[in-house]
Amino acid sequence: MTTPATGFFTDTSVCIGCKACEVACKQWNQLPADGDFFSGRSYDNTIHLEATTWRHVAFIERQARLSGQATSRPFSWLLMSDVCKHCERAGCLEACPTGAIVRTEFDTVYVQPDVCNGCGYCVVCCPFGVINRREDDGRAWKCTLCYDRQKAGMEPACAKACPTDSITFGKLDDLKEMARARLQELHRRGVTEAWLYGMSERDQPGTEGLHAFFLLLDRPEAYNLPPDPSVPTKGVGGSWGVMALAAAGMAAAAVVAAHSRGGERK
Amino acid sequence: MSPTLALQTGEGAAQRVKHAEPDAGGIVPLWREVPSQPRPAQDYYRLALLKEPVWIWSVPAYFYVGGVAGGGAVLAAALHGKTRLRRLAAWCRLLAFLGTTVGPALLTYDLGKMSRFLNMLRVLRPSSPMSLGSWSLAGTGMLATLSLLQGDRSGAVTRYGTALGGLMVAGYTGVLLGNTANPLWRERRLLLPLLFTSSAAASTAGVLQLMPLDKREEKVVQRFGMVGKAGEAACMVAMQRSEGTVPEVAAAARGGKGGVLWTAAKAALVTGILVELLPVRSPVKRKVSGALTTIGANCLRFALLESGKSAAREPQATFNLQRTRMKG
Repeated sequence: MTTPATGFFTDTSVCIGCKACEVACKQWNQLPADGDFFSGRSYDNTIHLEATTWRHVAFIERQARLSGQATSRPFSWLLMSDVCKHCERAGCLEACPTGAIVRTEFDTVYVQPDVCNGCGYCVVCCPFGVINRREDDGRAWKCTLCYDRQKAGMEPACAKACPTDSITFGKLDDLKEMARARLQELHRRGVTEAWLYGMSERDQPGTEGLHAFFLLLDRPEAYNLPPDPSVPTKGVGGSWGVMALAAAGMAAAAVVAAHSRGGERK
Repeated sequence: MSPTLALQTGEGAAQRVKHAEPDAGGIVPLWREVPSQPRPAQDYYRLALLKEPVWIWSVPAYFYVGGVAGGGAVLAAALHGKTRLRRLAAWCRLLAFLGTTVGPALLTYDLGKMSRFLNMLRVLRPSSPMSLGSWSLAGTGMLATLSLLQGDRSGAVTRYGTALGGLMVAGYTGVLLGNTANPLWRERRLLLPLLFTSSAAASTAGVLQLMPLDKREEKVVQRFGMVGKAGEAACMVAMQRSEGTVPEVAAAARGGKGGVLWTAAKAALVTGILVELLPVRSPVKRKVSGALTTIGANCLRFALLESGKSAAREPQATFNLQRTRMKG
């Protein structure tokens, strides 16, 4: 396929926490509501990415100033719109036994709802805790990077709705260039804590880079992102090796047990 | 939305609105302090980073049943051609058959879309332990049925095929659990296949011990079971030792329902070994030992699932594990 890889660059330094992306995503994909409740965690009542929540805005109230910021008391807001990372090597895709999870022509990771049988293995294999199984529906769901819109040449609903362009959609190579320029600009302005999360394989060897990457202003833990995620199936060879040894042991035990006194041949 | 008002063709349109109240146990873990008060930004309001496994009781139950079937298949092949152990070989073939037919049913029961269980054999994905496991379970099931029907007259291909498949069915579940993002299981990725295989041998012997056996048969079963139990005990000790590196992982393994089940599994295993070592020979002793092994093996598998859930709920377990790995 000659279609270039597309993705998201989410610049958290300009996110204002309006949750337009959450709403646009729910509307376009016709996802059901998650129920009304007050979480007590700042303005975040969505809590996490879910089978029915494919964009989630995190609200972090910190007792610390951002560089170049002047406040009477040390305080700053960190806001981030989280999404499925569409990893270069995706844990869910490599674990899926039915082939329901595929890589599309846009190099995004897509769950085919007509194939998924809800085995739940992708849920435990996602190092970011993104994908989940719906109890009533029985299938696994996550962000599709608006596969349907992309096929029609449109940008995903969240990026379209974002009023500050915190969420940028585009070709992966363009996004990387844009991210590097933005990082340089922020560093030039003295916001030295800005850094890029998971942009390339060098940044995140475990996933070999994300197709939805982020500009962050704190440690990944503050945003509930893993500091060094890794595709679980990367080290599967070792486990199979150990299993082969164990199997040899079990076979030997059976043969020895069968040949114990009393079990003489015919 | 009413279908008379609008046509719903979107990706998630088939889903229904979730219950309006949050599930107090699952989505929002209870907090001990007011989240908006000053605190070091070590995590995101202690909310879970990973998703908990969604598997229900039938999955650990399958782990046990599959183990019994695997051990049975291997023992049946080893016993082939030994006239005096014919009855035992038949028992083993029956166990292999039952396990590989009941097992898939248990797995299907856990599926979100049970009607799509055949999709498991839609593709072969070598990177996925579950895909390889599904194929070997299906293959072993067919061969085990064939062995059961042919009995003593089964050919070498059926016999060794069933045994090989049985080895795979007994051990792949360990590979499957170990190669996930769950911090607790991932830490034990090299021990879990060993544990599952040795525990499978012990489980098979445990079930056989509950059946009427003569002296020779008893001896074979006892030997096979003791090797399994010794391996199981060694793996459990090694697992407890390996937890030390990250305190949150150890806490997840020892606390809650999983911790209780783990302790029960340990107690049942140790008592089972002690009973086995008693210098008397009686059917009662054999049956007690078999029952203890069976209880222990089941507790062990449920403990692994439950403590995996606890570990997924604790974000620090994942953070600290990855930070330690980054430093090392």
